[in-house]
Amino acid sequence: MEVAILFAMVIGLLFIGVPIAVALGLSSIIFLLVYSDGSLASIAQTLFNAFEGHFTLLAIPFFILASTFMSTGGVARRIIRFAIAVVGHFRGGLAIASVFACMMFAALSGSSPATVVAIGSIVIAGMRQVGYTKDFAAGVICNAGTLGILIPPSIVMVVYAAATDVSVGRMFLAGVIPGLLAGFMLMVGIYVAAVWKDLPAQPWAGWGEIFASARDAIWGLLLIVIILGGIYGGIFTPTEAAAVAAVYAFFIANFVYRDMGPLANPDGDPIPVLRKPQSLLTVWFHPDTKHTLFEAGKLTILLMFIIANALILKHVLTEERIPQMITEAMLAAGFGPILFLVVVNIILLIGGQFMEPSGLLVIVAPLVFPIAIQLGIDPIHLGIIMVVNMEIGMITPPVGLNLFVTAGVAGMSVINVVKAALPWVGIMFVFLILVTYVPIISTWLPTLLMGPEIITR
Amino acid sequence: MSEASKGGVSGIIDHIEESIIAILMGAMTLITFANVVARYVLNSNILWALEATVFLFAWMVLLGVSYGVKKSLHLGVDVMVGALAPATRKIVTLIAVACCIAYAVLMLIGSWDYWYPFVSKRAWLETDDIPMPFFLRFFEGWLNEGEVYEKMPRFIPYAVLPISMALLTFRFLQAGWDIYTGKRNTLIAGHEAEEELAQAAAKED
Repeated sequence: MEVAILFAMVIGLLFIGVPIAVALGLSSIIFLLVYSDGSLASIAQTLFNAFEGHFTLLAIPFFILASTFMSTGGVARRIIRFAIAVVGHFRGGLAIASVFACMMFAALSGSSPATVVAIGSIVIAGMRQVGYTKDFAAGVICNAGTLGILIPPSIVMVVYAAATDVSVGRMFLAGVIPGLLAGFMLMVGIYVAAVWKDLPAQPWAGWGEIFASARDAIWGLLLIVIILGGIYGGIFTPTEAAAVAAVYAFFIANFVYRDMGPLANPDGDPIPVLRKPQSLLTVWFHPDTKHTLFEAGKLTILLMFIIANALILKHVLTEERIPQMITEAMLAAGFGPILFLVVVNIILLIGGQFMEPSGLLVIVAPLVFPIAIQLGIDPIHLGIIMVVNMEIGMITPPVGLNLFVTAGVAGMSVINVVKAALPWVGIMFVFLILVTYVPIISTWLPTLLMGPEIITR
Repeated sequence: MSEASKGGVSGIIDHIEESIIAILMGAMTLITFANVVARYVLNSNILWALEATVFLFAWMVLLGVSYGVKKSLHLGVDVMVGALAPATRKIVTLIAVACCIAYAVLMLIGSWDYWYPFVSKRAWLETDDIPMPFFLRFFEGWLNEGEVYEKMPRFIPYAVLPISMALLTFRFLQAGWDIYTGKRNTLIAGHEAEEELAQAAAKED
């Protein structure tokens, strides 16, 4: 079958070290030239159409920018302080607080590696100081960091919404309860391990500390309120919400937290705005501002180049009517919803070990979406299953982004991080099975707040 | 850190590319934000905001791709290549570069084929909403038989396709040469890890 050649070509190119985006694009071009009469100009058009034809994807750069402004050390530190004040006094409190901090940071950032870096670079050292092993600390962070793509806002969800034309707002809402549940399951796992291994608890800091740390962290956490509130209140489109969040994060980072920009003072307390009113103008040209814009732009470029080329591949697949063929084959083979979801999970778990999550979603979503609709599976539920699979893909080798980032942050080899993460991956697997076969976990909140969904296809 | 730190010509070019990325990113954000403000505060709409943002987005990503090649930032799978002996590894990497060059050249041809009609026989085709900036009016005499463009013609935003793909071809050729001469040994990033690590280390200081 020609499609098998197409995918073999992608995998072959990946293994000789061709960048993911080029492997996807080049395979599609060659396939089109050999098996179909598509012109090169139409491929160039498809590339440009990734931007011109997918307004949903426009939210991605803004979410990345907001998260980059929020990823200054200061915001993560404030969130961690609050998390320790709230749950630190349990056994294994610092590890539980790390998960809690990852969950909160995930609500500011749509990416898992960013969550691992922001939280992990602070708490792993902290956990080691009070007597946790390095493996325990790294394993916890590596797993908790994956919540970055499950708890809204999430870049992977934006990509899924763009690939299948479901509502971004619904996807975000659907991620809330599974995100909380996954975090809770990890916390329970840690607590059990802590009792068993006799890990230390932090002293109870008192309500005063909880209140003070909450007041300090609230400016950052309000970001998620703006995004979710804005989208559900019908005030903004998701893209606009992301842009407003980016501008909000810019003001908080420069004028409230003052970790960066003209009012930052590395040697002591930040400078009050009134003492330096010209900062309201200079901030726009400050090197920190430019650096943050550039960093966010760079991440957007790398991600969008993969997505744009995955869209070319998707275009080829749709043109060759591959999704319809697979649907017919699967239905003819008598696949029911349960077996179908098992197959989807397996495809995604294997794919997720080699591919970057967003690119994989763009390719797999249109293949399985029509079958899911035929079988009566809720599109939102399918989306959450895919996101959870991507989470597991990020913590399993060889292309587990979180593994590499954790290895870097913890100063361990990747192999050791893989071993350290393994017990917690077990919890994520249980969570995956739960989410796959109990759809109400995903669909209850969006249906409650936005009404039942109308499936048009 | 990949921020320009070198001096000389390559440092200046790095600086220009990084500034273009930062400026396009900032412009996109501000235009979208301004549109929200216009809607709620001024009760009006910036008609061209969405279309302009989309084009700025396309420009940023497409132009930035070649910067990513120059700095070896693009994600890839390096487990297999990393396990090879240095001599074999170099050959395999050169084959990978050849594939990338083929991609860039095919895309360049496709981009030109796609763009050329917009600047020749369909030069009258305008964007939906973006007004024509006065300093680009000279195109009317050149390409539109002197007729006034009410909106920006489509060949301007689309021009990024051939430009960016030409740049990409150049950067892949350069990467191939660098790998051949031993100045670089990889085309792809070690999974963002090094970069993220450098950032984390910088924060701890």
